[in-house]
Amino acid sequence: MADKVKLFVNGQEVEVESGKNLIDAIGAVGIEIPHLCYHPALGADGNCRMCLVGIEDGRPPLVPACKTRAAEGMKVQLDTDKIKKIQRDIMELELINHPIDCPICDQAGECKLQDYYMKYDGQKSRMTVKPVLKAKKMDFGCGVVHDQERCVLCARCVRFTRLITKTGELGIVNRTDYARVNIFPGRPLANRYALNVVDLCPVGAMTSADFRFKQRSWFLTKSKGICRGCSKGCNIFIDHNREKYKDDVIYRFRPRLNEKVNGYFMCDAGRMTYKQENDNRLTVALLDGKETGLNEAVEALRRAVSQAKKIVCVISPNNSLEQMFAIQKFAANCNAAVSGYSDGYVIAGDGDDFLIQDDKSANRASFALLGIDASKAGFDAAVNGADLLICFQNDLSLSLTADALNALAGNCKLAYLGSNMDACAEKAAIALPVASATEDAGTLVNVDSILQQYAVAVVKNTPAFDMIHVVSQLGGEIKNCFEARAGLTAAVAALKGIDLEQVPGEGLALTVSEVPNVAA
Amino acid sequence: MQVKLLSARFDIPDAHKIEVAKEHGAYATLDKVFAMQPEEVIELVKASGLRGRGGAGFPTGLKWSFLPKNIDKPVYLAVNSDESEPATFKDRYILVRDPHMLIEGIIICCYAIKSQAAYIYIRGEYTTQVKALQAAIDEAYAAGYLGESIAGRDYKLDVTVHRGAGAYVCGEETALLESIEGRKGQPRSKPPFPAVEGLYGCPTIINNVQSIASLPFILANGPDAYKAYGTEKSPGTHLFGISGLVKKPGMYELPLGLPILEVIDKVAGGLRDGRTLKGVIPGGSSTPVLTPEEAQTVTLDYESMAAHKTMFGSGGIVVLDDTVDMVKLVENLIYFYHHESCGQCTPCREGLGWMLKIVKKIIRGEGTTADIDLLTELCDNIEMKTVCVLSAACTMSTRSYLNKFRHEFEAYVSGGASSQTAM
Amino acid sequence: MSDRSQLIETGKPFAFDAQRDAEFERLAKRYPTRESLILPSLWLVQEQEGWISAEAMAYIADRIGTFATMVYEAATFYTMYNLQPKGKYHICVCRTLSCYLLGKQEIVDYLQRELGIKPGAVSADGQYSLEEVECLGHCGSAPVVQINGEFYEYMTVDKLKELLATLK
Repeated sequence: MADKVKLFVNGQEVEVESGKNLIDAIGAVGIEIPHLCYHPALGADGNCRMCLVGIEDGRPPLVPACKTRAAEGMKVQLDTDKIKKIQRDIMELELINHPIDCPICDQAGECKLQDYYMKYDGQKSRMTVKPVLKAKKMDFGCGVVHDQERCVLCARCVRFTRLITKTGELGIVNRTDYARVNIFPGRPLANRYALNVVDLCPVGAMTSADFRFKQRSWFLTKSKGICRGCSKGCNIFIDHNREKYKDDVIYRFRPRLNEKVNGYFMCDAGRMTYKQENDNRLTVALLDGKETGLNEAVEALRRAVSQAKKIVCVISPNNSLEQMFAIQKFAANCNAAVSGYSDGYVIAGDGDDFLIQDDKSANRASFALLGIDASKAGFDAAVNGADLLICFQNDLSLSLTADALNALAGNCKLAYLGSNMDACAEKAAIALPVASATEDAGTLVNVDSILQQYAVAVVKNTPAFDMIHVVSQLGGEIKNCFEARAGLTAAVAALKGIDLEQVPGEGLALTVSEVPNVAA
Repeated sequence: MQVKLLSARFDIPDAHKIEVAKEHGAYATLDKVFAMQPEEVIELVKASGLRGRGGAGFPTGLKWSFLPKNIDKPVYLAVNSDESEPATFKDRYILVRDPHMLIEGIIICCYAIKSQAAYIYIRGEYTTQVKALQAAIDEAYAAGYLGESIAGRDYKLDVTVHRGAGAYVCGEETALLESIEGRKGQPRSKPPFPAVEGLYGCPTIINNVQSIASLPFILANGPDAYKAYGTEKSPGTHLFGISGLVKKPGMYELPLGLPILEVIDKVAGGLRDGRTLKGVIPGGSSTPVLTPEEAQTVTLDYESMAAHKTMFGSGGIVVLDDTVDMVKLVENLIYFYHHESCGQCTPCREGLGWMLKIVKKIIRGEGTTADIDLLTELCDNIEMKTVCVLSAACTMSTRSYLNKFRHEFEAYVSGGASSQTAM
Repeated sequence: MSDRSQLIETGKPFAFDAQRDAEFERLAKRYPTRESLILPSLWLVQEQEGWISAEAMAYIADRIGTFATMVYEAATFYTMYNLQPKGKYHICVCRTLSCYLLGKQEIVDYLQRELGIKPGAVSADGQYSLEEVECLGHCGSAPVVQINGEFYEYMTVDKLKELLATLK
């Protein structure tokens, strides 16, 4: 535990973590110090001046909270008339050259200028002269659109590209009130994390070309989730909305703070995976490519299972831990071989030393927990002589050539349980729709052996059954996620003593030695 | 009234050349300096009472003593030759007429603070001056006063000229460091102070050209000889720049402590014929203006200026006579500070432009009394809310005109001000 | 100050000539970091070409090993860097305080009439460019005009007329 210091805020004694700056230290006990330029991941810059606080008996008596460490006995003043006036004055100066185009600004509703105006300013404008005009709707690359007039020059975006991605595409050029953020001609944003500047921007100066003008932020339901773009398992907000007479649709993913996993950020590719949740969905059951009733299709697959001589269950490294367990049980009951073959989910060399991983699946680490073999040799042995192949969300087209997949589909009956109309679903003789990742709950173990959970975020007008339910209909003994969790804790050594119903929000780190040390 | 301590060689033909300068005493203090311990040099400079001549007037020797002891990092000297506060034009005489005095001072300072690298930050506008300075440095290298072994001793010192390129704010010491490091001249938050964490993250002393150039005299003649000039709290001499509406504007070396009006009259030739005094800017454009009544009792030293709620600043005196339109003068000043704002802190970046537009509106005859009040309030709202004092330079001066010459602003508001004054 | 962020691209690659190259390498030894070379390099470009193009900035950035935006920031922040070609004679009139008090406006007005250009512009024949600049540090000999780096003190319209006649 970090050392604590006692200090006074507006005369009230509070205990805070020592060594932190006043914004973070006092913020942790629920007292807000307004700020625009400071960001915990980017450090203190001190340019916005919004966090100026009084220090009674201090030298100097007025300090930027972002640059001031919490110290024992410090008397911090936030509610004096002087500080309130400073906050009002800074807000007035922030706004004189701001276009105040909130009605057409995507940031409205989650804008620091709006929030702080309501909380700290509230005055009528005294600006009676012409404002400074700057450029708007600038294409900065990577889907980032910039509005120089809305910008408060906090330099968060600039610092992000210099300190975090170390690509430096952004700079603040000119000086005085002509200062503005820009890219160098011909050198636009070109890094795989560029869209984080949209989240970092405290105002509407950085917007996402993908999200612009799609939704007002206050209509969005902001659900917690885990990105499945790769094995890092970045924590996200799933921002979705069911408009009147329409279905629940996801409009964007945003990174959600988890110091142990992704910090404040996520990659652009992961961010765009929300589209898979909306588009190209497998919404109806298919028999030989023809739409059919779900019960009929389930029945067809049950029949196939009972008639098959050799069954192979192909598990996806994107299945949740619970799904994998339920499928394993199902496979055992019907004497099916199990393979997690999914080489196509790995793009060797694609990862970096920040967040992006080579493995584009979210839960491969659980293969080791459950002893699921994912080797090509194991897969080849399993499919040899098989007459029924059931792919559980595993799109084999990623791992096999088209010829190999066609050959496989010719040799045996191919069934598919999944949420998207991918190539494997198209080839399947029986395709059953299941809930997608954001429509289901489950557990994932990331590349660093951190176990994380997610809950149901999106509820479609016509919800698909979750995978475990469909598996149980096929004859699986596990009926739901709850049963799977109970079974997992009992069966898996590495999960002994872990209550899978009580996993903390930041996840649980499984010790490295436990992970490979698993009974099959 | 004039004295010649720093300007002793200014009028000697070719004194900028090393052989001529040496004939007249340049580099003569080095034997003495190298015979002393560095700490002794610091004590001697402290004893002289020399105060920084860049504008803030901080005691030079004391500044040096803030360097951390026993450090394993290099120590740097940055010589501030940015000289960009309007009405300031003293250092350039040193650069052009006696650059070897400056180089000798740099050697003394670097020896005292144990530095082996000095950077002279010279404003970009000083085109001919930078050539003169670089020529002198080249001479000093050739003569063995700079480089691997100074005057034959086991002591290394490199002096590098770093040119600014048109940014007043680089006179602020941490903006100057940023500029040497290749960035925009945006002042750093303090702490840490440069003496602890300055250039390239290393302990750094930043001194004005004139402060450094005062060292050879102090070393040669002792602290008492220096303190024989000036007042108790403002010892020594200063290169005053007198400009504006006087008969003989120019740079004059004077002891501190002289009455400002007497200097204007006797040294600078007084007002032009038929004119009366309207105000005096005592120490560069940022210092609050003095009315003729206030100026009666002002002497040219730090304490008198402070007592009159203004500042000694850079010693750049500007004389304003009855032809001056104070509102337009304020416009000229705010224009300058707005132009020079580094754009970092919100109040300065946004506020100075707003102030400029308001004063322009007043001059156009479209202003109201509320605009004058707003201008006054903005001075308060902006001042001391920023990393550096550039905005305060603008607001302190502007406020002094608003307070002391408000009637001129009001005349614009009620119409017809331009007919009242000639400009 | 005006917006200086619109850079001009020449469409041609830039490189230091031999003299500037040698000076660059000499200076590189004087600074502990490469980024300190940004300002000196911009000066070298301006000496060589008279102004600084987008290509030259990119060259500097790549040569130093820094982000192009670092060079772009510096070039647009420091107003003495010319970001477009200037006239053969680049005339700067000091507009601040003492020069203002002593009649810089008459000088600016005269030059505007005589050269047919406003401050910030270049004459059509490329002979002259005119600029109003902030304090040049010659307040004791105001008003002052700087032409191609040379100072002309105690300026009057009459003296300027004579001076212009010599600038052909």
